[in-house]
Amino acid sequence: MAKAIDFDLLRKIDALDLSERNKAWRSAMKAAGWKVSADRERWTVKSWRETEGEDLQIRRAKLLKCVLDNIEIKIHPFDEIVGRPTPWVIGCQTAFDVCGDYIPGIWDDSGSFDATLDASVQMSREDLEILREAARLFGPVSMPAMTYKAWEALVGSWAKDAEDAKLKDPSLDSAITGQSTSLLSWRKILRVGLSGYIRECRERIDAYIAAGGTDIDKIYFWQSAVIVLQAVIDHARRYADLAEAMAAEEKDAAQKAHLLKIAETCRYVPANPARTMREALQSMQFCNLAKMLENPIQNNCHWGRADQYLYEYFRSDLERGVPLEEIASMLADLIGRWGTQTFVAAGTQRLSHQINFGINNVMLGGLGPDGEDQSNELSYLFLHLVSLLHLSSPTVGLRWNKKTPEWMMEKAIRTNLATKGGIPLFENDEVIIPSFVRDGIPFEEAVEWVGLGCVYPTIPSRAEHYGAEGVAAFNLAGLLHLTLHNGVDINGRQTGLKTGDPREFKSFEELYEAFLRQHKFLCHRIFWLGGVARDMGHKYLRLPLLSILGIEASMELGQDLMKPHPDYAMFGISDRAIIDVADSFTAIKKLVFDEKVLTMGELLDILDSNFAGERGEEVRMMCLRAPKYGNDIPEADAMVRRVSEDSAAIIRSYDNAPFRNFMISREGLAWHYYGGLGVGALPNGRKALEPLNDGSLSPMRGMDKNGPTAVLRSALSTGFNQVAYVAVLNQKFSSSLLASEDSVKKLVAYTNAYMSGGGSHIQYNILDTETLKDAKAHPEAYGDLIVRIGGFSAYFVQLSPEIQDDVIYRSEFNL
Amino acid sequence: MATEIEKAIVTNIQGYSIHDGPGIRTVVFLKGCPLRCVWCANPENLDARVQIGFNRRLCKGCGRCAAACRYGAIVPGDAYRVDQVNCTACGECVARCFYDALVRYGAERTSEEVFEEVRKDKLFYDASGGGVTVSGGEPMARPEFVFELFSRCREDGISTCAETCGYAPRAALERVLPVTDLFLFDLKVMDPELHKKHTGCDNAPILDNARFLAEKGASILFRQPLVPGYTDSEENIRRMAEFILSLGGGYAIELMPFHRAGAPKYAALNLPYEAEHLTPLTEAQIARARDTYLDCGVRCIVSK
Repeated sequence: MAKAIDFDLLRKIDALDLSERNKAWRSAMKAAGWKVSADRERWTVKSWRETEGEDLQIRRAKLLKCVLDNIEIKIHPFDEIVGRPTPWVIGCQTAFDVCGDYIPGIWDDSGSFDATLDASVQMSREDLEILREAARLFGPVSMPAMTYKAWEALVGSWAKDAEDAKLKDPSLDSAITGQSTSLLSWRKILRVGLSGYIRECRERIDAYIAAGGTDIDKIYFWQSAVIVLQAVIDHARRYADLAEAMAAEEKDAAQKAHLLKIAETCRYVPANPARTMREALQSMQFCNLAKMLENPIQNNCHWGRADQYLYEYFRSDLERGVPLEEIASMLADLIGRWGTQTFVAAGTQRLSHQINFGINNVMLGGLGPDGEDQSNELSYLFLHLVSLLHLSSPTVGLRWNKKTPEWMMEKAIRTNLATKGGIPLFENDEVIIPSFVRDGIPFEEAVEWVGLGCVYPTIPSRAEHYGAEGVAAFNLAGLLHLTLHNGVDINGRQTGLKTGDPREFKSFEELYEAFLRQHKFLCHRIFWLGGVARDMGHKYLRLPLLSILGIEASMELGQDLMKPHPDYAMFGISDRAIIDVADSFTAIKKLVFDEKVLTMGELLDILDSNFAGERGEEVRMMCLRAPKYGNDIPEADAMVRRVSEDSAAIIRSYDNAPFRNFMISREGLAWHYYGGLGVGALPNGRKALEPLNDGSLSPMRGMDKNGPTAVLRSALSTGFNQVAYVAVLNQKFSSSLLASEDSVKKLVAYTNAYMSGGGSHIQYNILDTETLKDAKAHPEAYGDLIVRIGGFSAYFVQLSPEIQDDVIYRSEFNL
Repeated sequence: MATEIEKAIVTNIQGYSIHDGPGIRTVVFLKGCPLRCVWCANPENLDARVQIGFNRRLCKGCGRCAAACRYGAIVPGDAYRVDQVNCTACGECVARCFYDALVRYGAERTSEEVFEEVRKDKLFYDASGGGVTVSGGEPMARPEFVFELFSRCREDGISTCAETCGYAPRAALERVLPVTDLFLFDLKVMDPELHKKHTGCDNAPILDNARFLAEKGASILFRQPLVPGYTDSEENIRRMAEFILSLGGGYAIELMPFHRAGAPKYAALNLPYEAEHLTPLTEAQIARARDTYLDCGVRCIVSK
């Protein structure tokens, strides 16, 4: 049933401002420097030494318990919800036990190092020593280190070489163990409480023993779950004690009452089922906090379909007379808290992701199992609060479908205008749900899909191993570079196959065939190495808390998610830079084989010279003027379709038994900059090492000259929705001409048209070029300017100059 | 001759136009205009013939255009210029230019070709209640072309909108009226002398045509370029309001505040830009004009 919407409530929401607590938090957050704490490693090292000789599953559980029992905690005066991984407003812990020796900066005696893209941290000598001790203890036997050793035994230095040439993603660096697994099972957590989980674990242990089960790993798993779940409950009670102690000292009556309410809440949840919005949000915070303390590199605090599972608490709070302002204040607190969760990125991750905060997602609206759209007043409140908070995170997705109501779409577009940064983005139920169903996921499960990471669609009930095995993505433009150089990569190494010197090729088809051979070789080899990594993961790492709270099936299976189960594991892959490759092929076909205005030899020489000299410039112009995708030119668009379909067929042909085959999602973060570092000059006119195209369906920068409807017509003609779950299309619109209500409605119509035509994703940057140029020149004046890049928002002034240029030059359309 | 498909010189077919009629529209710009308004922002559409424009800022001085020109119409100076007398607008130079410094304004297109182009955005018209708008230049100079285009659009369920300066033979309006959903009808100056001075033409036929369309019950949105010192006097606005009210039908007017975005195109065509000295109106000035219309009882909106 379509919801009966309380339009009066929507009007009240439109009038809401941030609460005083929210504003105080925001000021404190903006004033706070980035800090990295050594506190966690103090306890990881201690626990690891004390548990020597015990089973890995139990050791990992005790490690987390030791951290939760001892780590320093604090309550800030503006906290609605409590719980942070450090006592600071912005701060994070490190993850040497998970990632190994992953922060080169700690070996510098200055104690100063880059924690992330633009944040340097300064650590005391004493803290530095703690981190080094952890690095020494965990580094050599960490999951990533052991995986690289295994790969080396199989293929020598190839895996590292392929990463150096940016052909494959170096995601193993950061041991991101799958995006969807970092989305916890909120419905169950709120319904049964952690005590409910503990009870179930104990029952399963008893039943398994009674039945004479022989797999001790199952017993260890359930035991490890009990240890960590109880530790989370105890951690919450430490906050309750602290709040009571602070209340006793508090002079201000209102704050005293507030602290006592916090204490009461923290004694009740997460142990018990939530009864109110406050309990629900507080329970969620403790679970996410524990997840981050189990693996601090995985700081994504995903909401999933929060407007759905929180709706009953929202309604009953309102019915009980809780003021809307108070609900909004609590919700804004948690949105802000999760949106500003930092981490220390591994070196390559800094470049490939360009992020400082964790990417957390909230997915609004969308179809329910009854086939009706589920947008509600809470969806509306979410949109309203993110536009007030003006943060780069969370990534907010709206699940578009033909039944998405007009009021929701208009609020979504107005939120885009208010944030100037593609919040929310739009993803298409009517492409994504059928894709899951086609891949064998039952409709009732498929309909619960959420976008994670940047826009990656996944099923919350299943373990997504996207990236967990160092697979995640590969670079088709890098493959084209290999093809044009007989398998030699940008660093001069024979990373690819010897598919022949293109100067000898007699036809375009010969060249294209060589490309497909490179593709298959690289793709299948990476998948194979990914399979090896999968085994290493289980051997050297367990994540009991994430397993029990993230994947409901792990309870029944008695199995840690680091050991994927064929029924529940899903594997994703992103084949990137299709547009760069297709436009390059179109240019080669036209200039070398059809019109014969260039020989392959001359073209290759000029590409290798990076279009040097007068002739180089002339050839570059010829390349740039060849037909480009994004202008509704059939010849160019058909090439995109061809590359897309062939790439998908190669990926799908890999037999991943006993696991599900790889599923394709074409998202991209800010990867196009990183990927470009592995690719020489291309026949589409792009110079060596420059960024590739953003997104996955966005036209080449500045080359979409036939207006915004032509871009969408091109995009729809490529048939990406037949082979990929999602394909990212970024469109930039000028804000200066979006002032009227009428133009909001027209952008709604534009979005509806693309989605109803079969587009899987679209997002908007609403900016004018002058603003961006000025922001680049005067970053101090634009601290809150947000832009979208390939699926997530970032603070513009924090991006590298190359990415800033990219955003500036992306074609600007006036609405 | 009835079977021959009509042709027109089309300068541009612009998708996702959201300020020229309801919904998302495609605007078809036809070349050639009877008026010569001082403030015109589309000088490339004044002359009815195909023309070559040159943007000095983008020129790299490579000389490929001069080498390609068979008529000696590219005159190398401090930068290359197009000699509009010798130029046949064949477009060879444009095809050679790598840098988009040379641009060909206008190409002959049949109504069928234009329809095929317009139809591509049907998805967007359907989603937004949009359609096609013919503009210019003056589309009423090509009534058969517009008639054919609009007839085909109508058959396809695409809404039709014609922007006109009103200076056209009555027969032209009679021809397109049955296939036009909305007229965007430009009014500039009420005083006949001043109108002639600022636009080069008499305004009597324009006002007559407006009356004619109103009598026929056509949907009309009047539009007025709001140009400082030319069209924005209170007297002019009050007289125009009076005229609109005299038509009955409760017609509204949309104000189009003056902007200088057309200036580079004057330079590209080597034409003098007579509006050089004008500065854009302030928000307050625009609001004053709007309020005067409202005061007179005419619905008025400001184009954004």
